[in-house]
Amino acid sequence: MKTPTSSLFRALNPSDAGNTAESKATLAEIDGSCRRPVLFLFTNSLLWLLGGTVLALLASWKMHSPGFLADWPWLTFGRVRPAHLNAMIYGFSSQAAIGVAIWLLCRLGRVPFMQGGIVLAATVFWNLGVTVGIFAILSGNSTSIEWLEMPGYAAYILFIAYALIAVWAVITFRFRREKHLYVSQWYLMAALFWFPWLYSAANMMLVINPVRGTVQAAVNWWFAHNVLGLWFAPIGLGAIYYFIPKVIGRPIHSYSLSVLGFWSLALFYSWAGLHHLIGGPLPAWMITISIVASIMMVIPVVTVAINHHLTMVGHFKQLKYSPTLRFIVFGAMSYTAVSLQGSSMAIRSLNKVTHFTHYTIAHAHLGMYAFFTMTMFGSMYYIVPRLVQREWPSARLISVHFWTTSLGVLLYIVPLSVGGVLQGLAMNDPNVPFLKTVELTKPYLITRSISGMIIAVGHVAFFWNFAWILARRLRPYEPPVAIIAAGLEQEVKAGLAGDI
Amino acid sequence: MLLYLIILAGSFFLLTGSALLALRWALQDGQLRNSEKAALLVFDEEEPLGEVTDAFPGAKADPTNLRKPGSLP
Repeated sequence: MKTPTSSLFRALNPSDAGNTAESKATLAEIDGSCRRPVLFLFTNSLLWLLGGTVLALLASWKMHSPGFLADWPWLTFGRVRPAHLNAMIYGFSSQAAIGVAIWLLCRLGRVPFMQGGIVLAATVFWNLGVTVGIFAILSGNSTSIEWLEMPGYAAYILFIAYALIAVWAVITFRFRREKHLYVSQWYLMAALFWFPWLYSAANMMLVINPVRGTVQAAVNWWFAHNVLGLWFAPIGLGAIYYFIPKVIGRPIHSYSLSVLGFWSLALFYSWAGLHHLIGGPLPAWMITISIVASIMMVIPVVTVAINHHLTMVGHFKQLKYSPTLRFIVFGAMSYTAVSLQGSSMAIRSLNKVTHFTHYTIAHAHLGMYAFFTMTMFGSMYYIVPRLVQREWPSARLISVHFWTTSLGVLLYIVPLSVGGVLQGLAMNDPNVPFLKTVELTKPYLITRSISGMIIAVGHVAFFWNFAWILARRLRPYEPPVAIIAAGLEQEVKAGLAGDI
Repeated sequence: MLLYLIILAGSFFLLTGSALLALRWALQDGQLRNSEKAALLVFDEEEPLGEVTDAFPGAKADPTNLRKPGSLP
């Protein structure tokens, strides 16, 4: 079946789409249409994951051994650390998120992805923007604004590339052949709408035409907190709401609860960012509203946690058999943990201890790695074999990937959180010299470097398996077990023959 | 300073306002009705309800969890 990709005009105008609204696309058609753009996004994201991991290890090592590579200006801590953050956020996480979102929107809308070539070109631009931005940071041209360290010229490239990707994702959504929306589509569409808003507004007010004074900090944390909660978290949650029911073959425990979770996140989250500035010189009402919104976030978090848990009840044995489920459930549990931790960190008395300490760094990694990154890994384990039409080459590499990353990130978070609390208590004690507060964190920082090396092993294992499965596509077709079980073998072969 | 704070506060309200607009559309379009149907949208005739769809390479999914396609879990 030919997909409606023959002309740009047809893709822009639903009324010109013929009878496509009546016929839902087959899974083989959808996967075929997503193959090139999504695999290209995943490949680039994993390359940035490896690069970002190297930068992370350098930055972590420098925290307890400041003399390490200290004579190389490009590799000083002040450059390597933001380069790591930007490589992970814009290089790895955003591209993985966009790839997963595109595939999910096509699958749930039962529509092939349209105009994949434009997304390929946009992905090239996106990677150009990230490369230029990271180069600028390493050469000393960072803006020094948290999460927006790339100079304005790199931000322009990123924004244009994102606009191309998002517009085509929205058009695909508009052409969906299943009109009723699943909760994952709400999360994904909201994220695709919120991110450009946040990114453009923050760049306008901080990089291109900077506001002055303490408002800079307010805008900065409005962006940095919301990019987590309104860009990465919705895409992670959208994936979790899709993959848990899909893998175990059972619908979500309570659909109503899932909808409540989405709308409460949409209404409360955008207010929460300024709890990072408790004690700062801002109007008290702004801080107070953020604290209230942070506590209100308990509602969506608890609804999501209950829903995911009750969906899994009776199916936990599947964790032994499904790589996707292992990563996704780990991500879902981490979402509950990081969100409740985040709400607690907005309480003034606790914030007084944890603010300006490594506790916040551990919290950020619980969110961005244990929740979001693990969820993206799980999603890729499900999506890639369906795009490539091949089985993952090595079960052992998958196991190595899971155990090194899951245990590695726990070894990162738990000791660093303990060290952060001790650091905060020491900093609040006027009898403790500041140097002592730095020295007491050293064992926890060394543990972090060790955990980082363990996680790096997992990343190499995953990349190896990913490169291997792509190479396998060059060989004759061998259907994955899941495809045989679903009785789709003939259809997939037909799809491959037509190279949909 | 005051102008910037107003712009910032306005962004909070606009983000929340956009969510409220989307909620209004969802209500009018009937998206929040029939939650039983919506919950089953991840399944279809090719990958139906009750079918386990992921396993380690070279292995089959947990046989005790496999059900006949279409049967209730």
